[in-house]
Amino acid sequence: MRDTAILWALTGSAVAITLWRSRFLIAPLVAAGRPVEDRTGHPGRRLSGVLAAVGLHRKLLQRPVSGVLHAMIFSSFLVLLTAIVQAFGSKLFPGFSLAAVGGETWFRLMQDIFGVVMLLGVTLAIWHRYYLRPARFRGSNNADATWIYVLIAAIVGSMFMESAFAIQAHGSTAWRPVSGLIAQALGAAGLNWPAGEAFFYWAHVIAILAFLVYIPGSKHRHMFLAAPNIFLRNLEPKGMSPAVPADREQPGVNHFSDFGWKHNLDLLTCTECGRCQAACPAYAAGLPLSPKLLITDLRDAMIDPSCTHEPIVGGAISPETLWACTTCRACVEACPVEIEHLPKIIDLRRTLVEAGTINPGMQDAFTNLGNLGNSLGQPSRQRARWTKGLPFKVKDARKEPVDVLWFVGDYASYDPRVQEVTRKIAMLLHSAGVDFGILYDAEQNSGNDVRRAGEEGLFEMLAQSNIDALEAADFNRIMTTDPHTLNALRNEYRYLGANYDVVHYTTLLAELAETGSLRIKKTAEGGTATYHDPCYLGRYNGEFDAPRTLITSVGLKLHDMPRCRENSFCCGAGGGRIWQDDEGVVERPSENRIREALDIEGVSVFVTSCPKDKVMYSAAVDALGVGDRIIVRDIAEILEIETDNNTAPSADAHGGNERRVARDRKETS
Amino acid sequence: MRILVILRMMPDPASELELNEDGLTLDREWLDFKLNDFDDQALEEAILLKEATGAEVTAVGVGEGSRRTLQMALARGADRAIEVETDPDAMICSRTIAKGIVKIIRDENADLVLTGVQTPEDLYGQLAPYLAAFLDWPSLSGTSHAALSGNSLSVAQERGGGRTANYEIALPAVLGVQTASKAPRYVSGSKLREAAKTPIESAEIEAPPLAPSGQLVELAAPQSNGGGISLGSTADEAAARLIDILATEA
Repeated sequence: MRDTAILWALTGSAVAITLWRSRFLIAPLVAAGRPVEDRTGHPGRRLSGVLAAVGLHRKLLQRPVSGVLHAMIFSSFLVLLTAIVQAFGSKLFPGFSLAAVGGETWFRLMQDIFGVVMLLGVTLAIWHRYYLRPARFRGSNNADATWIYVLIAAIVGSMFMESAFAIQAHGSTAWRPVSGLIAQALGAAGLNWPAGEAFFYWAHVIAILAFLVYIPGSKHRHMFLAAPNIFLRNLEPKGMSPAVPADREQPGVNHFSDFGWKHNLDLLTCTECGRCQAACPAYAAGLPLSPKLLITDLRDAMIDPSCTHEPIVGGAISPETLWACTTCRACVEACPVEIEHLPKIIDLRRTLVEAGTINPGMQDAFTNLGNLGNSLGQPSRQRARWTKGLPFKVKDARKEPVDVLWFVGDYASYDPRVQEVTRKIAMLLHSAGVDFGILYDAEQNSGNDVRRAGEEGLFEMLAQSNIDALEAADFNRIMTTDPHTLNALRNEYRYLGANYDVVHYTTLLAELAETGSLRIKKTAEGGTATYHDPCYLGRYNGEFDAPRTLITSVGLKLHDMPRCRENSFCCGAGGGRIWQDDEGVVERPSENRIREALDIEGVSVFVTSCPKDKVMYSAAVDALGVGDRIIVRDIAEILEIETDNNTAPSADAHGGNERRVARDRKETS
Repeated sequence: MRILVILRMMPDPASELELNEDGLTLDREWLDFKLNDFDDQALEEAILLKEATGAEVTAVGVGEGSRRTLQMALARGADRAIEVETDPDAMICSRTIAKGIVKIIRDENADLVLTGVQTPEDLYGQLAPYLAAFLDWPSLSGTSHAALSGNSLSVAQERGGGRTANYEIALPAVLGVQTASKAPRYVSGSKLREAAKTPIESAEIEAPPLAPSGQLVELAAPQSNGGGISLGSTADEAAARLIDILATEA
């Protein structure tokens, strides 16, 4: 009876202290607004995501050492929960026992085995953190991690010792092989201690309660928060920026209460694993941004009761940190607990733009975009000038119906380094018999990166102008040259009520090659190429295969870089970075990427499928002086058409009108 | 204090300028127009003065496409905006602008008129002096800073060689601004949209036509006669190339 009272008192005070320690964690969740996006619909899809992430360690196992050690600790934790239930249940509720379901038999066996697995896992973790020392832990709180190792070791150690002394006092070693060995060793060493069982029982209980009390101040909160945070993840298309809530006076965020509660929950869930930091091109370039530290700095500021770090911009987070982001989304993709770094960065950038604190390059770009509809300061009326060198006239989609409306984009239209590629795409479409047209100077910048740079008002102006032009045109689907444009038209314009069927030119060309309308010559037999997945084509919009099919169709052997597909490494131009200078950059992401390609044996062609990539990587090859070893080519440039005069361009490619699909467009509100 | 700032629209230098067949005028039909850079500085100086003193700022837009610029001025902090209706197809000389705007300045009871020191179409910077002459007010051009001190204005004027002259000038006055005290601020799209709700007034230039003070005889594009050539990056290289040219081409 006395033991029961003591344990109730201990447990009660531990829980009370834990809740008291959690008050600064709970307050920001309660004070925050509602998330704009739906966070609970599609429960089945949400749950299966949780099972894949937690149960199968889908993202964690991408890094094998830490994945395996985490799986060891995690599975042992689940098994040892039964020991905790037994330890507390038996004393808190006299008469409680799991014996009926195997509490004294195979439960004990499992506990013995997984106790060892747990200790091995912790040993592996210590070796990993302190011997291998992966760079992604730089800036993480190692002392916190060490406390956790100590507490786990204490919990498991006391469990074994309690069990061993129990065997020594009255039990058998059946079902308890490890504890039995320890009991034997104790006996051999002459350690006979009748009170040992009780002593280590209390040590075990106190270690568990200490762990509980410790958790609110530790990254180990993720034990409780990871699964809910993954469940509540954003299921909207990846390419949609956070919407501005209707009740917000200004587009940006100044205080933690301006964020939806899910963003604040993200901050509490961070495990400081640094996978985001390792994937970040801005961090690799030496810029003052680590997505991990962004989250932990925000977290520390949020749970600091003094609130001295608000407004957030300039308080907890500096403008330079926010401007360093390329919005490539590698951090979000890498995060095992589905933290959304990007929406926070975009919302905080909106605050900067509203206050007018932007750097001169961006100011020029924004001003040009507002006045001329392009970021390059080129006359809006010369947008279609690139068509001049073509042997045919490109249809004016403002005046006549077309099957494919080609949304060309700024760089493809104006940049002299890219115009040649743009003309080549026009030639390919023409020879495949595609009925296509462009909007001429009614086209403006799509606003994808404008929105990501935090210029919400300018984005809306550009988008509305483009939507007006598109509504006035008659077409079946849209093709874009630029993946950024693709993302805006496909995902961001939904925000303004416009839904379009949008494809990338590589998707369309692969489709034409498949149907035989585009007959590609095997011109590059024997060469080896590598391909760079553009962030907004691959990671954001899931197109990985069409470009690869086209590359191999010319006879090139394709050798992917280590960072490819979802894990592609950004060229450094996105999210408004292309409008800023290189101040603070130690190594340009584009040069880092070219080095990665050069490390592959035999690769001599670096293939791109984004106009900005062509610009960025050509410049990187020049800067590195490796033009004799590798050349940068857009996919359109490597494609040559089979000119067999006996076969006219296939007639059915003109059948676009029959293939007309109903346009899924809502009325613009 | 009531400040009036004059914003003139100029052909965008990035567009291709073409002459009309008369050889006297620019073909303005296909041109983009943008705010004169110095007038942008004048606007910023006006807004800075407003922030420092609580003055009221009225922006007056002259030239094609000035509505958009006036919206921007309102978003930056101007209190009112007036669009001056002008002939869209012709360049207007500063003397005509000055004569026409004098009435607006008087109607508005302005104490201070700011405008850019010059424009590509007014290289001599005549607008500020013309206005001052018509109004019989003091005037300074090429200013780089202006601040209210008591009932007068202390003004800095850029001189050559890094020197700055400081003036005290009695109000009312006219300034031709070279640079504002701070770089023109960026105004976000959401503020522009908000400002679009403020109505823009319009005014006509009612001044009687002035007798021309001179006759334009010809307007012509600059002659291009080949670019320069680089002789190389080192002295030896350059010398060798020069000898080569002298020997073979001279």
